[in-house]
Amino acid sequence: MLFNSYPFIFLFLPVVLLGYFALGRRGNLAPVIWLALASLAFYSFSNWQFVALLVGSVAFNYGIGYLLIARKLRPPLRFVVLTAGVAGDLVVLGIFKYAGFLAANFNALFSTGITLHILLPVGISFYTFTQIAFLVDAYRGNVARYALPHYALFVTYFPHLIAGPILHHKDMIPQFERAETKRPDAHLILCGLIIFAIGLFKKTCLADGIQPLVSLAFGPNAPTFDQAWIGALAYTFQLYFDFSGYSDMAIGISLMFGIFLPLNFNSPYKARNIIDFWRRWHMTLSQFLRDYLYIPLGGNRHGRILRYVNLMITMLLGGLWHGAAWTFVAWGALHGAYLCINHAWNNYGPDVAPRFVRLADIAALILTFLSVVVAWVFFRADSIDTALYVLSKMADPTHIAFGKGEMAYALFVAIYAMVAWFASNTQEIMGYDHANRTVAEKLRGLRLRPLFLYATAAVLAFGILGIQQHSEFIYFRF
Amino acid sequence: MSVALKNLVRFLGASAAFVLMAAALNFVVDPLQLLRPARLFPAMYSPDSRMQNAGLIRSQDFDTVLMGTSLALHFRQSDIDKALGVRSLKLVMSGSTSKEQSFVLAAALERHPKRVIWQMDDWIFRDAPDVDSESYFPADLYRRNAKGIAGYLFSGAMARESAWILARSLPPLRPVVTRLTNGVMFKFPISEVDDINALRSDYDVAGFYNAKNSEASFQRISDPVRSNYLAEGYVYHAMVANFERDAIGLIESHPDVKFDIYFPPYSILQFVAMRDASPATLKIVYDFTAYASQRLARCSNVRLHDLREVKEITHDLGNYGDVIHHSPAIDLKVLSLLARGQYVVDRTAPLASLQRLKEQVEAYRVEKP
Repeated sequence: MLFNSYPFIFLFLPVVLLGYFALGRRGNLAPVIWLALASLAFYSFSNWQFVALLVGSVAFNYGIGYLLIARKLRPPLRFVVLTAGVAGDLVVLGIFKYAGFLAANFNALFSTGITLHILLPVGISFYTFTQIAFLVDAYRGNVARYALPHYALFVTYFPHLIAGPILHHKDMIPQFERAETKRPDAHLILCGLIIFAIGLFKKTCLADGIQPLVSLAFGPNAPTFDQAWIGALAYTFQLYFDFSGYSDMAIGISLMFGIFLPLNFNSPYKARNIIDFWRRWHMTLSQFLRDYLYIPLGGNRHGRILRYVNLMITMLLGGLWHGAAWTFVAWGALHGAYLCINHAWNNYGPDVAPRFVRLADIAALILTFLSVVVAWVFFRADSIDTALYVLSKMADPTHIAFGKGEMAYALFVAIYAMVAWFASNTQEIMGYDHANRTVAEKLRGLRLRPLFLYATAAVLAFGILGIQQHSEFIYFRF
Repeated sequence: MSVALKNLVRFLGASAAFVLMAAALNFVVDPLQLLRPARLFPAMYSPDSRMQNAGLIRSQDFDTVLMGTSLALHFRQSDIDKALGVRSLKLVMSGSTSKEQSFVLAAALERHPKRVIWQMDDWIFRDAPDVDSESYFPADLYRRNAKGIAGYLFSGAMARESAWILARSLPPLRPVVTRLTNGVMFKFPISEVDDINALRSDYDVAGFYNAKNSEASFQRISDPVRSNYLAEGYVYHAMVANFERDAIGLIESHPDVKFDIYFPPYSILQFVAMRDASPATLKIVYDFTAYASQRLARCSNVRLHDLREVKEITHDLGNYGDVIHHSPAIDLKVLSLLARGQYVVDRTAPLASLQRLKEQVEAYRVEKP
């Protein structure tokens, strides 16, 4: 089921909200169970064949977590249990996500004829990573014992389940345990609706609107220089508004239940370097990779050379996490290289003279953006060859079409760029403060300015009117 | 009621009001003319045939329907009317499958036309999934069920077109909106039915339809790297099943309608490419043609015209933009051939024309560059 669908907006969400608050009058546990069951139902609408896998994964990890938290095991045994837990998760992830990729490469190398057709369970990357973090924290002694319904809800919670953000148990489970979240709060519901509306608008009106232009670069016809750039930039903004829209919708939906989800997106194209970009793009994945991969690898504690090696490993695996294809590996490698260059520049590069700071900032923003665009070409292309082909067209100004169509398309792209660079983002507009569990505090208890209220109502209306039958989120594939 | 609750109610109420206003705009303007022929506002049309056809079927007067793929896309209804003495409606859809064509024809036949002219070839029967599984085919618009009508009225994209059509109808705004009417800003850019998907008068016909382009296309498709595409989807039994369901099923359920079916005049290079690069595919094409010709010969309401053997067209490579798509001049020739009935397949010898085509294909030699 998609957030940007009529059944979700007009049927599923209202029913689940009503049930949740109705049960909230009876106690603290029933709404949690209701929400966990609703989440499984949400998942089963489009992935019924993998519900058992999801439930099995929850049971397995809860069991491993129980051994690590509640049983007083000796340290070596604790390590064995953790290893078994993480290995179990990675084996399942590996089979479903990477077995086909490995077989294809094996076939290419040894001319064998192994054929594997394994469907990818939607959201497996997200719920696997979520639970690996839980197990590692349990091993480190950073987890209190949680009741099974709360744990199950933490993993399956439908606003995040199939496309993130990657949740952290310490952030979420205490919220599920609070009695206040079971009572309807008109302020939170309104703010959640407004945030959802902005996200829906981004998805249905902006991301879906520019999607057709992507085929200029990645379609069947050979693109000219301008078409290749328009197509690559169109994808750059399609992905931006698609992902940003999804993240907003997830936060908005969750807020209606009184639960604050972490931010996952903070105007990444405003970043002035790649380090900053990764603090703004898919923020929860960046945090996961930092805390559970880069730092355990050694981080920056063993000298600069090893730091660069660790960065490359982290980003290569981060790329592979997005999909089992060499294009994603290339994308991760590019970002790894960008990060190494960025850190090297910070260490060895010259300081900018004060009078050139503004100019340097603009140049840094443009350079960062262009680097990201080049990497997105690999992310979008169906093969390395296709990516190199598109990039070669982007570097060949001898063939330019620039007809009426291209001019109009370039104008579209420019408008999208203006929105991405100059408009306030949703959390700024709404004053969403995840850490302090507050949103739009200035508006609480006050009459909203009519213009703001009606403008956001129009945004919701446009978002609903823009719903198309076939418009999945790009991140569903990961 | 608390202030927050009042705000929530106002917000939901305002959202609902905006949505209903958009639906009302679509209802009044009715860009597709799905609910009524254009009266309040000048009619505008979209080149997206799969969507536009649903409205054309409801809003136009016609006694003859033309169906086909991109090979019949550039026909003008006025030319059809003149050549055949009919009042036609073109429902051609580029790249359409037999299932799509049959579905649209069935909807059009509910308006009781007397005649169907159907550009039919083996290609449409290769892969013909159900229309509801096709992403870009709005099947419910044709069914005119609640889902289709609601989807139409509550569509933001349609509301944008309605607003444009409304703006275009206001004299002070007309010049500006007309200038923006290029299909990019405004998806309903055509003001005459006759111009839907017809080539514009300033189109460089000679620049696209010439021997150089068709020969280059031949080289491309016969290249060993790409020749696999020639065989894509050609599975004899599946094609026959699709033919029985989509063509024969429709024809036999409308015995009072006259079907003029024609096999389009591909360039000879199309068959020669199969002969040289994918002979198994050519055999399937021949076998399928034999089956279809014999089967259609048994339908008393069908007249089959096999234009693939019209040497004066198919052997003149200057008529083509690639190996199959012919120029608008050949469209007119096709109409005159249909009117004269010169290449009607003899019911008593339905395989004779196929035999002549086979001989032509066998005899043709490609000149090496």
